[in-house]
Amino acid sequence: MKYILMMHCPRTGYDTFGAWPKKDIEAHMAFMLAFNKALRESGEWVSGEGLADPKQAKIVRAGKDGLPITDGVFPESKEFLAGYWIVDVASPDRADALAAKASAAPGPGGAPMNMPIEVRQVMSGPPEQNSCNES
Amino acid sequence: MKYILMMTGTKADFAWYAKWSKTDLQAQLAFMHSFNKELKESGVLVATEGLAFPNQAKLVRAAADGTPITDGVFPESKEFLAGYWIVDVETPEQAYQLAARVSAGPGPKDRGNQPIEVRPVMSGPPPEML
Repeated sequence: MKYILMMHCPRTGYDTFGAWPKKDIEAHMAFMLAFNKALRESGEWVSGEGLADPKQAKIVRAGKDGLPITDGVFPESKEFLAGYWIVDVASPDRADALAAKASAAPGPGGAPMNMPIEVRQVMSGPPEQNSCNES
Repeated sequence: MKYILMMTGTKADFAWYAKWSKTDLQAQLAFMHSFNKELKESGVLVATEGLAFPNQAKLVRAAADGTPITDGVFPESKEFLAGYWIVDVETPEQAYQLAARVSAGPGPKDRGNQPIEVRPVMSGPPPEML
């Protein structure tokens, strides 16, 4: 079963992160590199990416002529995807356990951040019409 | 340069999508298939995924002992990722062009062109970290 684990942040999230003491940033990055390595070694790694600063994000819409309009404005409250992992795991519980591990990545002073990680299954094909019902 | 093109929607948007007519859904799927095929054939497609519906999304945090707490609540206004493409293109403009194509994809008659978020993807941690 493939699951995506997503880290989100506000628009200014990268500024906050960049203002951490250098050793805290290094510890955080070292944690992420080790987490990625463990996923590769366990065979659960499918893919993972870190996205550029949300300040570089654009909203693109097609104009009437089909050409891109790139001057859209994001709502102030918008959460931006900072990065994600896709993992192939034996059970949903394993996806939650991996998310908890990522959640506890070290933050300022090396304390676990316990940040929220959004976990959702990745579809291998188009949606079933009946899978859309609200819970 | 790698860019990610993201489609997002609130739970209300997904509920609306679930009510599209079969014809509209089929037209949209056909559009996605041919768009993906074209990206693959032109060599710009790095990855693409569709995510399960947001009613299956969970918010997971580590408890003090490191075990997962899965009862987090999403704000009503949350925009959920519906799916994405990662493309490897020469210029940001090419990424915007592709996003505009998705933006203008087929849907019910009263649907406007949908917004697509476009952002560079980092190829790894900053060099000073390595």
